[in-house]
Amino acid sequence: MSNVVPTRELVRLQGLQVKVGQMLVKNKLSDSLKDDLTRLYEALELSVSKLDKLNLQGIPLDSIDSPEIRHDIRNAIGITKGYAELIKDTEDLPSAALSNLLDKIMLWSAKTISTLERTTRRKQNDTTLFSLDALKEQTDSYQGHILILDDEPANRELLSRHIQQLGLETFACATAEEAYEVLRSNDIDLILLDLVMPDVSGHQVLAELKASQLWRAIPVIVISGMSDQNEVIRCIQAGADDYLQKPFNRILLQARLHAGLNRKRWVDKERDLSNELERSHRFIKNTFGRYLSTEVVSSLLDKPDGLDMGGQLQTVSILMADIRGFTTISESLPPQKVVRLLNNYLGTMAEIIMAHNGTVDEFIGDAILALFGAPVAKADDSNRAVACALAMQAEMEAVNQRNIAQGLPSINIGIGINTGEVIAGNIGSMKRAKYGVVGHAVNVTSRIEDQTGPGEILVAQSTLDHCNLPLTLGRQLDLQPKGVKETISVTEVTAIDNREQPGNDDGAIDDGAIKASS
Amino acid sequence: MSRILLVEDNEMNRDMLTRRLERKGFEIESAGDGEEALQKIASAMPDLVLMDMNLPIRNGWSTCRELRANPDTERLPVIALTAHAMAEDEQKALAAGCNDYTTKPIDFPLLLAKINKLLESES
Repeated sequence: MSNVVPTRELVRLQGLQVKVGQMLVKNKLSDSLKDDLTRLYEALELSVSKLDKLNLQGIPLDSIDSPEIRHDIRNAIGITKGYAELIKDTEDLPSAALSNLLDKIMLWSAKTISTLERTTRRKQNDTTLFSLDALKEQTDSYQGHILILDDEPANRELLSRHIQQLGLETFACATAEEAYEVLRSNDIDLILLDLVMPDVSGHQVLAELKASQLWRAIPVIVISGMSDQNEVIRCIQAGADDYLQKPFNRILLQARLHAGLNRKRWVDKERDLSNELERSHRFIKNTFGRYLSTEVVSSLLDKPDGLDMGGQLQTVSILMADIRGFTTISESLPPQKVVRLLNNYLGTMAEIIMAHNGTVDEFIGDAILALFGAPVAKADDSNRAVACALAMQAEMEAVNQRNIAQGLPSINIGIGINTGEVIAGNIGSMKRAKYGVVGHAVNVTSRIEDQTGPGEILVAQSTLDHCNLPLTLGRQLDLQPKGVKETISVTEVTAIDNREQPGNDDGAIDDGAIKASS
Repeated sequence: MSRILLVEDNEMNRDMLTRRLERKGFEIESAGDGEEALQKIASAMPDLVLMDMNLPIRNGWSTCRELRANPDTERLPVIALTAHAMAEDEQKALAAGCNDYTTKPIDFPLLLAKINKLLESES
């Protein structure tokens, strides 16, 4: 360890200060330059006093233990260097001697800081070790795919290992071509880019990335050697978000990855927000009630006249569900428990309905009215309605487990499904309009649903006619509801038999997807 | 012309940076501590904040967190300045929500590049 007592630095600095003083007195200077030089003189004075103090205490410049003292000295030198650079930047400096003097002050500052930094670097290595645990804890909340482009295998290996330790996934590439290939086939959240590579420069890659509509928003952190400072500036001007110097410091790497990933998240969020979909969402939500799947919303927005909802005749599959014996249950429970029971049940069901791209048109007490095919009709409306009903019944076990855990009674639901023509549109007064459906088919659905037993799904023939899922069927019955002229034939549906039709992707959303979203 | 709020308690530093940035065409407003910075931001929104972290009354980290918690200022670009060249300081500044970070002594061209970049991404 060298033992640099700041005597030499101090003597040089005092010499420089004197020269600045002479410039001020001797030369005829413009007012603004005089003002700047006076400031520089004061800054030199500050640096001198700080070093003088250190000198008196006999502390070498490269082993200052107190962070406060290091901070003070760094600050003083920073100010000195800043004024010198400021004056150097002035157009038409009156003399070469002044320019020379400023160069010397800048050089002195750089040298002194680098001596001072030797302490910092030693300290930094110490802290790296014990901060690693804290660092790991913090990254648990971060996820992302990081692309590393570096031609040096050892660097790739080292970076990959560091980043994987943080729980992030890495794609290490040796060439730009490889990197583009990875970008095309993966969702990359952040790029670490080496500046100096043999086949193509980091600048070219950066320009390519920033010119691409698709990749522009991915944050890029440039990796560079110590001497590449000007390159780094150019990169930042060209759109890089940050830079990292070799050799890598793990904590710095982590901090910058986090900042980059955060930035990406902002960009993503912003894109979502600025999306027309998001703005229209509020309008759609107000019109349709709270529950409408985003897919239905976006398909609505795709059609310019999709929002003409004055009322149109439309074929829809209607799903109605309610809790068997709910009146009895609700009478035996305090009101708060009834509400909790309902919220638990309705919330879960609404999610399943949305996962099947259905529209929750209404909750009427414990009953749910959901539509498949309104506001937007699709070929597989009936399929989705039936698959949705099965998923709802399957989920009841989990609903009941939650109920029991909360001291609530377990419940059973019956579901009726019917397909027919209805009038769909905004119904109501000017002040309070709501998207809904009216028509004979709605009443029929309600009658079918009345006939269901606990855990049962009854589906009208009209729905089964449109449905091409391989269903396992149960009992079959003919209904003659009051006020309905024709006989309604309904069949119990108990399962979708996936084995019969392995490649079936037509409307039946697999259970895993629904569970994950509920 | 872009407006920058410079938050720095050291008078010399403030003066030096103000001069340098003004000559690069920025309009500089300054504050000497975190509370004053929040007041100035509330009365006139700058385009960017350049803030020392070791400030009296309310330090830079806390000030930055305050800015991030307020919907009006959550996107206001903040560059942290500090004389500590320790990695944790940088990490702390970024964790508090600063967009970027520069250590003193300031590499002025680099700082300018960072300022311009943040201003561009805002507009």
